[in-house]
Amino acid sequence: MTGLRIPPEAGPEERATEFADAAEPHSQASARPAGRFGVAGWLRWGWRQLTSMRTALILLFLLAVGSVPGSLLPQEGSNPEAVAQYYTAHPKLAPILARLSLFNVFGAPWFAAIYLLLFLSLVGCVLPRTVRMVGSARQPPPRAPRHLARLPLSVSYRTEQPPEQALASAARLLSGKRFRVRAEADWVAAEKGYLREAGNLLFHIALLAVLVSIGLGGLYGYKANRLLVAGTSFSNTVTALDVFRPGRLVTPGDLQPFSLTLDRFSASYVTSGTLMGQPSAFNAALTYTSAPGGPSRRYVLTVNHPLVVDGVRVFLIGHGYAPEFRVTDGTGHVVLDGPVPFIPVETSGFTSEGAIKVPDASPQQLGFVGVFLPTTVDVGGRLASAFPAPLKPSVSLVSYAGNLGMNSGTPQSVYTLDTAGLHQLAVAPRPLTAGQSIQLPGRLGTLTYLGYRQWISLAITYDPGQFPALVSGIAVLGGLLLSFMVRRRRVFVRARAGAAGETIIDVGGLSRSDAAGGFEDEFSSLATEIRGAIDGSPGRPEEHWGDHEPPEGE
Amino acid sequence: MFRPPDYARRAAVGAALAPVVLSAAVVLSAAACGGGATAQQTAEGNGSSFVSGTYGTTVFRPGARPVAPQVTGTTLTGTRYLLSADRGAVVVLNFWGSWCSPCREEAPALGALARHFSAAGVRFVGVDIRDDTASAEAFMRTFRIGYPSLNDPSDAIALDFSGTVPPAGIPTTLVIDRSGRIAARIVGTASYDGLEALITSVERA
Repeated sequence: MTGLRIPPEAGPEERATEFADAAEPHSQASARPAGRFGVAGWLRWGWRQLTSMRTALILLFLLAVGSVPGSLLPQEGSNPEAVAQYYTAHPKLAPILARLSLFNVFGAPWFAAIYLLLFLSLVGCVLPRTVRMVGSARQPPPRAPRHLARLPLSVSYRTEQPPEQALASAARLLSGKRFRVRAEADWVAAEKGYLREAGNLLFHIALLAVLVSIGLGGLYGYKANRLLVAGTSFSNTVTALDVFRPGRLVTPGDLQPFSLTLDRFSASYVTSGTLMGQPSAFNAALTYTSAPGGPSRRYVLTVNHPLVVDGVRVFLIGHGYAPEFRVTDGTGHVVLDGPVPFIPVETSGFTSEGAIKVPDASPQQLGFVGVFLPTTVDVGGRLASAFPAPLKPSVSLVSYAGNLGMNSGTPQSVYTLDTAGLHQLAVAPRPLTAGQSIQLPGRLGTLTYLGYRQWISLAITYDPGQFPALVSGIAVLGGLLLSFMVRRRRVFVRARAGAAGETIIDVGGLSRSDAAGGFEDEFSSLATEIRGAIDGSPGRPEEHWGDHEPPEGE
Repeated sequence: MFRPPDYARRAAVGAALAPVVLSAAVVLSAAACGGGATAQQTAEGNGSSFVSGTYGTTVFRPGARPVAPQVTGTTLTGTRYLLSADRGAVVVLNFWGSWCSPCREEAPALGALARHFSAAGVRFVGVDIRDDTASAEAFMRTFRIGYPSLNDPSDAIALDFSGTVPPAGIPTTLVIDRSGRIAARIVGTASYDGLEALITSVERA
């Protein structure tokens, strides 16, 4: 925007020339050699390249291409469980992909780079254009060409009216038709369709507003995930969230202080036909308060119907089973009593896997690796789950004792067991049904499988830029439509005295839009009306057209 | 007993200890630390309300200490607790969970400090987050924690602090002065020496 010089005293015409001379943004990038201009020349050249249409299109394309891995690979923001699964499935590839931020594409530095460059490119394009269009919209109609017959549309006729009166009549008629009129001694120039410029302006400003809105969301918005077991609650605080991705300017105190309880969760599945086992409905019955001490409200959360609380949207993005266990250690103390969320590893039978860690069991720490089968079937001696609903649930466990490695402070996965410091216990591997127990050898303790609960996983998103982005998006479309549909067109009238004392009237018409069409009809009817106005004017000598105030354009 | 997948992911992704959760806290503390998760001394900041900082530690100058909110709750053993009842004593409030490795790492130091400062009248109170009571009590037996812990299954206590000094991760330790104002916050594992120095400075003031 350094290339823009706006002399405040310059008239509209000079200003227009000024802008024509200034860097023509989003035109073909000039390939002018810049070497001899030195640093400033290179900067100018770089700026022109950046703000050229070609660069903007390439960046837009890159942005689109960059989003592709976001839909091909699981994303941490939307589906952290799937990312964890991807790690188990591709232990070599996953760290490389993570290094390239491919599990968090929209937060990746390279994505931000593309976005920022595009923003810069668009700003560099839109701002000068905007200023130019303001100038163009305020510009009065240009001088009438000398030879109107050379215009694409023209008509000529004779009249008895003196030239001044004829021109005054024509100007009055055109003004009445909402043309912007400029009248001089022997010609009248009129222009219409300034809404096209307004549309153009709206389009460009709204485009900037879209980008600013998205940026606003990035700065002040946040995304979070939380796994919630049926019958339990959580509050929207950083410590209660499993994953928290704040925008740059978000602090933990900015989180909207709502609390939420999952009362019940139910999943329905298709029970017959080719779609058997496919989910048909998920319903999560919630009770929530938008602030501590506030009134409790109820909401049934379903897929794609988020709960909106205090501007924050809470989506249901997943579900699973959390078998409940009670572990009594070798000293007779109950050392664990509650649900342990297991992660589904396949969807047709919802076979789920998880780890139970009992770090405070005595005399030895205990660990279990488990598989939960909602509908247990025996397939040739191997157990599997035949249906995702809990028709015949069971859990199979492998038991370990030793050192869980949890006291060193190094965070570890809650879904997997690090067996490096553990030894497997000799327990007959049989599936447990609700109420059944495992007696651990060596008086290490007892584990009882009590039953199961269901859990849901929630995506919590706050994006203050979303609504402004929607409004600006609509404005972008509106501006675009306006600039496409409105044609900028000019009509010129010249009057001169003929040899025989009559007046020769020339009317010429010009449409500035490429996509003109239909202007011929408008012009011919206008020309007819002008002729009628001139011939039919009663001729009031006292009225001078110069007193006629041309109306402000549309 | 909800074991946050948070830690799962962090370990799986192989990220350093400084997690996403903590990053906001780091931004908050004026002492801009360049180091990793290890404690790193930094120069004293001037002009801000924060005086000094170790990684994850925020110390508030006496004049700029935020007032601690009303904290009420039920302890794991079922008795009512009111933070305001401890007005006049220095209170160390520790947010923890038995499932949380950094909490297990700092637990021996906290237990020892509670015994060390008991004669001086410093109160230690835990806030147990995302835990089941059986696991929490087992944790307290393991680490010989003698002070009470509030059961906070719906994060109501953490939420109470959101307007002042929100716990920005687990564990978070707050030191509250005799007049009920928050004097310091440690996000992440508290070390014996670091916390002892903080308590001493608040206790002697």
